[in-house]
Amino acid sequence: MTPAPNWRRYLRFWRSNHASDFDDELEFHIEERADEYMARGMSADDARRTAIARLGNVDAARAECIVLGRVRDTRDRRADFFDGLRADVRFALRSLARSPGWTAVALLTIALGVGATTTVFSVVDALLIRTIPYPNASRVFLVGREITLGGEKLFGGVPFAALRAWRDNARTIEAAVTFIRDAGPLGTDPDAITVNAALIDTSFLAFAGTHPLIGRNFDSDEMMPGGPGAILLTEQFWRRQYNGSPDVIGKVVQFEGQPCTIVGVVPASLSIPDFGPRADVLLPLVILPRMYGVNVMVRLKPGVSRDMATGELNAIMNRVHVDALGMIDPTSMRLRLERPQDTLKIRQALLMLTGAVALLLLVACTNIAHLLLARGAARQRELAVRYALGARRSRLVRQLVTESVVLAMIGGALAIFVGWAGLKVLTAVRPVNLVALSYVSTSRDIVSVSAVLAILCGLVIGLLAALRTVHRDLGTVLRVGEASTPLTGRRLRAFLVVGEVALSTTLLVGALLLIHTVFDLQRTPLGFNARNLYAVSFQVKATERAAFGALLRERAARIAGAGHVTLATNAPSSNFMALSAFETSSHPATGAQEGTAFNFVAPDYFAMMGMPLVGGHTFEEESFARNEVIVSNSLAHQLWPGDDAVGRRFRNTVRRPDGSLRPWQTVIGVVPDVVRNLVVDTAEPAVYRPLDEPNGDRIALLIRLPGRDPVAILERFATSLQHGGSKPTIENVREDLDRSMAVPRFIMRILVAFAALGVLLAAIGLFGVISYSVAQRTREIGVRMALGATRGSIAGLIVGDGIRLALIGIAVGVLGALAATRFIQSLLYGVSRLDPFSFGAGAILLLATSVAACVVPMLRATSVDPAIAVRGE
Amino acid sequence: MPEHSVEVLRGTLDLLILKSVSWGPTHGYAVARWIEQATDDVLRIEEGSLYPALHRLENRGWISAEWGLSEKNRRAKYYTLTAKGRTQLHLETVTWTRFAYAVFAALDAPPRPA
Repeated sequence: MTPAPNWRRYLRFWRSNHASDFDDELEFHIEERADEYMARGMSADDARRTAIARLGNVDAARAECIVLGRVRDTRDRRADFFDGLRADVRFALRSLARSPGWTAVALLTIALGVGATTTVFSVVDALLIRTIPYPNASRVFLVGREITLGGEKLFGGVPFAALRAWRDNARTIEAAVTFIRDAGPLGTDPDAITVNAALIDTSFLAFAGTHPLIGRNFDSDEMMPGGPGAILLTEQFWRRQYNGSPDVIGKVVQFEGQPCTIVGVVPASLSIPDFGPRADVLLPLVILPRMYGVNVMVRLKPGVSRDMATGELNAIMNRVHVDALGMIDPTSMRLRLERPQDTLKIRQALLMLTGAVALLLLVACTNIAHLLLARGAARQRELAVRYALGARRSRLVRQLVTESVVLAMIGGALAIFVGWAGLKVLTAVRPVNLVALSYVSTSRDIVSVSAVLAILCGLVIGLLAALRTVHRDLGTVLRVGEASTPLTGRRLRAFLVVGEVALSTTLLVGALLLIHTVFDLQRTPLGFNARNLYAVSFQVKATERAAFGALLRERAARIAGAGHVTLATNAPSSNFMALSAFETSSHPATGAQEGTAFNFVAPDYFAMMGMPLVGGHTFEEESFARNEVIVSNSLAHQLWPGDDAVGRRFRNTVRRPDGSLRPWQTVIGVVPDVVRNLVVDTAEPAVYRPLDEPNGDRIALLIRLPGRDPVAILERFATSLQHGGSKPTIENVREDLDRSMAVPRFIMRILVAFAALGVLLAAIGLFGVISYSVAQRTREIGVRMALGATRGSIAGLIVGDGIRLALIGIAVGVLGALAATRFIQSLLYGVSRLDPFSFGAGAILLLATSVAACVVPMLRATSVDPAIAVRGE
Repeated sequence: MPEHSVEVLRGTLDLLILKSVSWGPTHGYAVARWIEQATDDVLRIEEGSLYPALHRLENRGWISAEWGLSEKNRRAKYYTLTAKGRTQLHLETVTWTRFAYAVFAALDAPPRPA
């Protein structure tokens, strides 16, 4: 057999391939058979007719062959495609492996850019986007009071009396439930463990669409003050602590010293919508009528808008008597209904991070575009050769796109890992109170989002870069030579560099603003001396406090290196806050105010804290009996403006939770204001009372202990004195204070990481562009040097190019930052969002980085040997 | 055409085609001729149906096809047995032989005891 000549295929031009193939094949058969008959003596006509007759039903056979042919075509086409793809992928992998440095930078860029996005998106999805897993979650809202506390806007609890009125009268809501948080010791000494508890009412479980796995819900008796003690375990706690044994029902355990019967176990899926720690146990929320800080959650009736419900609940609350509301003037209260996921304190910060990570992703994408263009430029000769050898442009484009998609897929896989690691890092540096962050995990949705994101980046950027690389003049590359190609994509790349520099400038300015903020906050004057100050807190019955305090002092004196010590119920950083409505002998109480700090202190407290009295004197033996108090400067000014407070009398008209009135008190001293919360810019009024008052169940030893490991010393000390109840706690007062700026510091750390990454990427981009331009202009530089240009002037030429691009980028970035910093304003306590330091430092840092990025290409340019360069090619 | 010719079962035709192309590139006419001669003209096939059978075997990947020129310089389509086809031929030969022996054995069996 000899292969058929090529021209034959043109015969197929008019007929379908398969029909004509079949006819050709059959024609051969007929001719051969006819030859055979003719050899036996038949006439040519007869021979042919007989041969055709032997074939039988030709039309049916032809139809069948055409169908079979089409099936073959489809299969071949598919196989061709996959063969081509496989070849392209193999080619891409080889070509990536051939330039490991380039590939590593590109993969790292994708992995970090997409990975950071994955991390932030995981958090935003889990905390802000996902609704709570309740039935009809779209109609569930938290009800809270708008509270402004020292410039900080808070979403506070509502009085219980209001909840009762809503349940009785509101027509816009279907159900209302309440809950509060608690934590305390479970069990008896010495095996007590501290557990997280949620106090709920009977309808809470039904509201959340769940019911006990075993046992039962609380009953109404258990909700009454003085009723039988009852406790529900959560599934995870039950499995961990009781090995999931059903026998726990009916057992009696001690919670905070009170005996409670275990009545049931609730499923692990039950979630308390406050972003707090997962509850271990649930307790009945025993209602005291004057409670004013319960969390209320309502489900609106279908078709009711949030505004309608807010209006009705407000109106009903306004009819409740002031006294029943715990002295809060109802007309001064503004209610707000919020979706549970909108009440997260760092919501604004997280949204801002989303914006920042989007900027970072843009920088990363820009950098990838850069890298691809640079690679394309370096491969002009290779591509031109393949083009000259007959490869179609579309084939070359497909090849390049495959390469970038392969790159993106590997990068995407790495990004999933980076995203997971990022989440771990984020959890590790999270603000202590943002427990919810540690429950965020990388879900399958997130993994697919980042995979899609990476591949999409690879596809889009790869296609754009490939189209730019496989340009129309590819044919001329071989003729004129690579070095003198008319600046392939150079303007586009310069534009990309400007974009990168601009985006990272914006990020950097944001990061610097937060650094400035945190730096300022750290230096806030505290009003007391927190140096080496520790607080060791014990739980102790109020009646035993005096004796235990004396023991504490005696033992503390033996600690080596300890200076003065003093006693109080609270450290200055953790004064407890309460509602107050003060009346003086000359002024009746106005509306209640939030956030008056209370502390019970020993007479030497102020001396030890470094808080010299502004007026009057400290407590004496008889102070408690005489109802004497010491107030902070700001409270003195508030109650008796322009007057001496010492000797004046006042009273807190907010009744005790049991409904009783508080006594009149006499001011004997005025002390400086102290800062308890670094991000609050107004002084909190504070009231100090003598430690002798049998109130509360805590006592703290305040001690200054310099040295290497004070915590270990204090731990030994505390254990030796452990006194019933829960474990003593040891706080470093300074660290405790710093915790109040945890959110800005948290955001600062992340932004600094993002900005550093952005600046690094921008530097890589700039380096690439300048290096490329040096490579392209080698000949020009050689000519200049041959004509007498000094190395200095060549260096200036190259660096000048880089600086020009960087300066445009920085200018654009500063403009961007002017607009973008509006979104981080709420985190910039006391620092202007137009802070010249941050803008200036940002611009200078980027300029310096840009110059650094130009150094290596500059050295390469100045080491050009004119003799070689001019002869070159 | 011989008078005692037998209609060929479909599976059998496939087996015969595979066998006929097993010695090298073969065109459809040669396949038809070989079947006539090798079976002493006992088996009769409708020659038109030979071609769909060939194409079906090609689709299964047992034989491959290529256009070429015959000794008489005519354009013809040549079929070659693929590696997959060779395995198939071997398998079907074994199956067919066992089948045939079984049938023979049954036909030669002594009369059924009453």
